[in-house]
Amino acid sequence: MRGALTENAMKQLRAVMCVCVALLSATLFGQQPAPGGQPAPAIDMSGYWTPVMHEDAFERGAGNEIADYGGFALNEAGRLWALSYDPSRVTLRPHQCEGYVAPYQMRSTGNFRMWEERDSRTQRLVAIHVYGQTTEGHRIIWMDGRPHPPAWAPHTARGFSTGRFVGNALVVQTTHIKQGWVRRNGLPGSDQTTMTDFFMRYGEHLTNVTVANDPVFLSEPQVRSNDFARQPVDHGAWLYACDDGEQILDRPPDYVPHYLFGKQPYARDFAKKYNLPLAASVIGAPSMYPDLPARLRALTNPETLFSPASGRPSETSRAVDPEPRDGQIHIFPIRNNVHMLVGDGANIVVQTGEQGAFVVDTGEGKLSEKVIAAIRTLSANPIQFIANTSFRSEHTGGNAAVGAAGQDPSLPGSFFINSAPRGVTGFFADPLSHATMIAHNNVTVRMQAAKAPEGAIPADTYLEERRRKFHNGDAIEMFYMANAVTDGDSLIHFRSADVIVAGDIFTTTQYPVIDVKNGGSVQGEIRALNEILNRTVFRHQGEGGTYVVPGHGYLSDEHEVVEYRDMVVIIRDRIKALIDDGATLAQVKAARVTADYDTRYGSNKGPWTTDMFVEAVFTSLKGGGPATN
Amino acid sequence: MRTQRSFVRCGVLAATIALVSGSVSAQNRGGGPPGRIGGPPGAPPSPKVAALADLTGTWVSLITEDWRYRMFTPPKGDYTSVPLNGAGRKVAEAWDPAKDEAAGEQCRAYGAAGIMRLPTRLRISWQDDTTLKIEADAGTQTRLLHFGPSHENHENGQDWQGLSTASWEYPRAIIAGRGAAGPPSGGALQVVTTRMRPGYLRRNGVPYSANAVMTEYFVRLDVPGGDSLLVVTAEIVDPEYLATPYWTSTQFKRQTDAAGWNTTPCAAR
Repeated sequence: MRGALTENAMKQLRAVMCVCVALLSATLFGQQPAPGGQPAPAIDMSGYWTPVMHEDAFERGAGNEIADYGGFALNEAGRLWALSYDPSRVTLRPHQCEGYVAPYQMRSTGNFRMWEERDSRTQRLVAIHVYGQTTEGHRIIWMDGRPHPPAWAPHTARGFSTGRFVGNALVVQTTHIKQGWVRRNGLPGSDQTTMTDFFMRYGEHLTNVTVANDPVFLSEPQVRSNDFARQPVDHGAWLYACDDGEQILDRPPDYVPHYLFGKQPYARDFAKKYNLPLAASVIGAPSMYPDLPARLRALTNPETLFSPASGRPSETSRAVDPEPRDGQIHIFPIRNNVHMLVGDGANIVVQTGEQGAFVVDTGEGKLSEKVIAAIRTLSANPIQFIANTSFRSEHTGGNAAVGAAGQDPSLPGSFFINSAPRGVTGFFADPLSHATMIAHNNVTVRMQAAKAPEGAIPADTYLEERRRKFHNGDAIEMFYMANAVTDGDSLIHFRSADVIVAGDIFTTTQYPVIDVKNGGSVQGEIRALNEILNRTVFRHQGEGGTYVVPGHGYLSDEHEVVEYRDMVVIIRDRIKALIDDGATLAQVKAARVTADYDTRYGSNKGPWTTDMFVEAVFTSLKGGGPATN
Repeated sequence: MRTQRSFVRCGVLAATIALVSGSVSAQNRGGGPPGRIGGPPGAPPSPKVAALADLTGTWVSLITEDWRYRMFTPPKGDYTSVPLNGAGRKVAEAWDPAKDEAAGEQCRAYGAAGIMRLPTRLRISWQDDTTLKIEADAGTQTRLLHFGPSHENHENGQDWQGLSTASWEYPRAIIAGRGAAGPPSGGALQVVTTRMRPGYLRRNGVPYSANAVMTEYFVRLDVPGGDSLLVVTAEIVDPEYLATPYWTSTQFKRQTDAAGWNTTPCAAR
């Protein structure tokens, strides 16, 4: 009896356990995700993919005609930029090897390869790699939750991407994209573009949808989709070698192929060839919608779309402000022992090593104590040298404080200590309590004239083309850029680190502040920008390699410099053409010669407006005298 | 020994309950209440309740690809990028819109395989628990997507919009119960359309036949901080006129209202 009861009890126990296990299993396998919470499972996107070219085969193959901008939400700036474009621009050396930017690369003709990168220990998904055959475009989609870089970090053709799975899609956010084409007939995508794209896999088919937001050239997001077929075998031929060279000889260095506003000779050919309404392909966002016919009927004069609209105030920049303005100094490592400090006006560069710190520019001076503290986190050695790229206060405002925080151990007991005129270079007499400050002589002259504090004025000056110094294991060269934005500008090149500090000759934030009264000129500015390009070497497909630190804005390479150079040359050419036709300054301003760049660099208020830039170019082209209306 | 057998039986039962439970539960995802709502007691939830994405509303086409071919009627013989075979090219070269008008065939470009590529607005709604309705203002067309068997009488080649069978799809592990169970929402709607009346892939007479089979994947994509998009990836297989399957992906943007809805009759040119 006891045994039977025990057996029955055991049966009941097993039954209860069985139900419990079953219910627990049901809960685990059929678990409802927390509302809005759990990430979707990873979907395998890896493999070899070939673009299915059943849409836009012409665009993606041979390339579109000029003025075929249909289906693009171009704003006025984008339309005018594209109409100004001359395909011959890609014959210029710095443009020859440019890679495709992310929004365009997904539409390129070449094959793709996608693969997963997993942490070897945890097997968690770290990244999904997308490698495009054309231009060897390697896109990394970080899946590990890392943040996007700060606004002052460099941009790349493919940008910085982070992804997550939502439903059956891989959703990717991309920032830090370079300027580039979004269609091969010159449609521009700016460096302010951010992109969301979606990857969906349907068996052996992959659909990618890109949503590009470009506040500079688009009036609304641009949505495009791309299809790919999975291939079972390696396509091979993954390389896309490119090395630039001379394609057309004997062109002057300040030549950039482009068409003046209203002078694009092929602007009407596309509509004529396909018997389309003239405005249909250049009207911008309305071209994307079913209501296009009605919008075209409402347009009284389609010819107005081929030139800047008259009587309209100039647009202002829609670019993200790359400066933090949070009262803090942010350190961004560039390469080797060279760092960029951001947060106090103009960018500051600090080189460190066994010797004292070599500092280029000292910022506005509002946060000098924090600048000094930041430098001390990089080097225990004193600040030994300060070099100024310009006399402007955003570059020299911290000279006195940062200089006073340093010392130059190379000077005590030297000839200079005993011979320097104390009245001008007071700190030479006390080198152990002040860094040595170096600049072109005109910087010193301008600062003296402005009655800057004695301790802020560089005493170690140079007059001609080059100053050099071997310091902290690197060859440092300073090059005088005569009459660029002022008459005292220097480029500073850390040769081993391969970092060029450009000062205000190059910024990513505004039109060049050509200060005609202080010796600046548009011709000198173009010369200086070309001088930077003469010294840069790209690493791969027109990007990377030599870093260029702008006076203001994000860390760049030659790609940003060449786009900026092109912009200055093109605007100069437009103003020159108007001057040659007898235009006055007022007429030049009314012509809106910067209309395709204003949404990127323009300003209608503050210390440097678009009008002031146009006037500076006009004045320097007229010979430097005062502008007359 | 007996205990071991019991645990084996117990494991089998547990796995069975788990798989059934997982399957039912997965079908419920998409915000609908679990269990019997939308159907008779004990029945799985209706496709409307089990929808993995809300596709309803007014959507406007974004003609950002093949713009010249979709926004305007291209010249005769311009079938760039469509993989026509010899017979298909022959038909395309013979396109005569006047003939279509005379034959009352103005709607050839508005059939299921063409309508989604035209500049149009779509109004998507549930006709009933098992039928999703897509109305297009271009050509005043209506597509009915049937979840499960249709009660309509479709003869092959009699209807511009053909017969469309729909199902909700999302990635699952190939072996049930292994790996992730599936997403809470955001899956694709798969639609297979057959029995279409012969029509045009493009308005200039690029043909598809009555034997064409179209498989579409409808997915709703919510752009962070931005628009909602409907993207329709379509594969058209037509042994009569296409040399290979023809793939397109077509996007629409969701409107907050019905602005711009403008029904128009079919036009052959």
